[in-house]
Amino acid sequence: MSLLKIENLSATVGGKKVLNGVSLTLNAGEVHAIMGPNGSGKSTLSYVLAGRPGYEITGGSVQFEGKDLTTLAPEERARAGLFLGFQYPVEIPGVNNVYLLKAAVNARRKALGLTEVDAYEFLQMVRGKMKLMQMDESFLSRGVNEGFSGGEKKRNEILQMLVIEPRLAVLDETDSGLDIDALKVVARGVNSLRSADRGVLLITHYQRLLDHVVPDFVHVLARGRIAKTGDKSLALELEQRGYDWVLEVA
Amino acid sequence: MITMPTNRDENWRYANLRPLARARPEAVDPAASAAAGISLPAAIAGFEHWVFVDGRFARNLSTPSADSCATLLHAREAGQSFDDILDASLATEGVDFALARLNGSRGDEVLHIAPADGATAALELTFVATAAASTGTSYPRVQDHAGRGSRLRIIERHVSEGSLDSNINAAFDVALRADATLDHCRLQNCGEAASIYDTLVAHVGERASYRLRSVVLGGIASRSTQLIRLAGRGARCELTAASIAQGPQAHDTFAEIEHAAPETVTRELYRGIATGRGKLGFNGKMVVAQNAPGADSEQSLKTLLNGPGAEASVRPQLEIYTDRVRAVHGATTGKLDEQMLFYMLSRGLDRREAQALLQWAFIEDAVSRVDCGGLRQEIERLVAAQLQEVSSLDGLLNRP
Repeated sequence: MSLLKIENLSATVGGKKVLNGVSLTLNAGEVHAIMGPNGSGKSTLSYVLAGRPGYEITGGSVQFEGKDLTTLAPEERARAGLFLGFQYPVEIPGVNNVYLLKAAVNARRKALGLTEVDAYEFLQMVRGKMKLMQMDESFLSRGVNEGFSGGEKKRNEILQMLVIEPRLAVLDETDSGLDIDALKVVARGVNSLRSADRGVLLITHYQRLLDHVVPDFVHVLARGRIAKTGDKSLALELEQRGYDWVLEVA
Repeated sequence: MITMPTNRDENWRYANLRPLARARPEAVDPAASAAAGISLPAAIAGFEHWVFVDGRFARNLSTPSADSCATLLHAREAGQSFDDILDASLATEGVDFALARLNGSRGDEVLHIAPADGATAALELTFVATAAASTGTSYPRVQDHAGRGSRLRIIERHVSEGSLDSNINAAFDVALRADATLDHCRLQNCGEAASIYDTLVAHVGERASYRLRSVVLGGIASRSTQLIRLAGRGARCELTAASIAQGPQAHDTFAEIEHAAPETVTRELYRGIATGRGKLGFNGKMVVAQNAPGADSEQSLKTLLNGPGAEASVRPQLEIYTDRVRAVHGATTGKLDEQMLFYMLSRGLDRREAQALLQWAFIEDAVSRVDCGGLRQEIERLVAAQLQEVSSLDGLLNRP
């Protein structure tokens, strides 16, 4: 059974059709990259998967581990094991990071029929992941993303992902705005999550992230549908030739 | 004859005055006050404790220090009519002072706090209402006249017993002489059927500093009238208020701060949450007089509505009569931020918990400024309970 199966998915945002028949199958253990020009529907796809209000599915289906994802509320999708790494993580002053992390972990554990995480073990685990992400421990007691730089916010998204340990991570342009050192740190984080029972959907504009997180498949999203699929070499080709030739073929 | 305010008076438009009109105006008969079994909040360490039941000092529940700067005045013992010991500023005519004058004419005890020049003191004042409105009104009254360079901390709490519809009319007047500092934290946590009205008048002298932090959580009706005059050069006022009104609660504040001397400074911050059918009003008026050049005034008033029947009115008002002034003010009324809510939901948080957290985050801005002893921790627990997710918010309060 595939981890994620999208079939002929169409969706509108504010009445405007943005996704126009997307089909994609992602199996456990795989990393798929989705590339595409601005406005092709990449972020819309990530929001539709996460259940953001205002993103309306008008056709097709999405199965997550064999279950209809579209009937679930956003929080139910998260508890089922879907994680969205935001392109623009929102700042939430007054709610500290460690609280959100713990609440998120416990929500997922509860869904899995597990008891709440032990406070000491939890902190030890988070500290280990923070070290991997080269984040200072002071981030824990700060408001969620409050006053973080763009790069810090992206690291924090990956930290959340590592702590929550989802089955499927959808990372929306997690590499944008990162310098090369931060990019390597983020890539290290993503790679550390890779395993035979998990999947990653990487949405990116640029090939450079894929040097560090090597995908099994690369898809080009154009005009709201998958216009071309290939392996890592497709990303290199796009880097050299741009998207126009794919659009012409599509 | 005292002319009482009505909702037709500009500064009283959002106040719930119905319980006041229904209550018996006579002071509660001491015989009708609960004599025993009163549940008091835990005392805050480092403060001397003064407890008042239905407006009257309860010696058996209090632990004032032997050399306290506070004394209890009785109108008759003082040998003068009660009106005479009203602070001069309170004697001003006008409907905004009507409730203070009623307090003066009906109440019979005043706590007079007067730290000497350069002295320091810390007092926790707990006012417990135990009588139903049909038996009378509580009239707590405090005067704080702080000497030059004195440092005073006051915690003022208002609670009421059980589900009684107690009616409270409190008056607090403050006079700070040059270089004096008053840190004043108030917590109104009366029962859900109680109604509480208070009038606070402050006169802040040269380089003196008055910090008032108020948290209003209880009562079916709560109205606070605050009239603060920055009278001396370099006087400073920091006014922070937080309020949560839910169900049928109506919380209303009118705060007028007058810059009456050069280089005076105001920082005013209000955060209010109305849920269910809760109603909030905050009318913040800043007046900069002609003889107050160099005045510096900041005002930030925000309310959050969570519920189809919730209402809020925030009104920043500026009256400036001099050119050399810095005045910044902002006021917003909004709903929970959808992006923040979705972010938390996408992390698996329950919708109700996520909403409570966002409300917490909103009001924490004001609550975090309450810095009188251990009161802040207590307030945070109460706020968390009010937001209905106390178990899950517990972790948030225990910062690593």
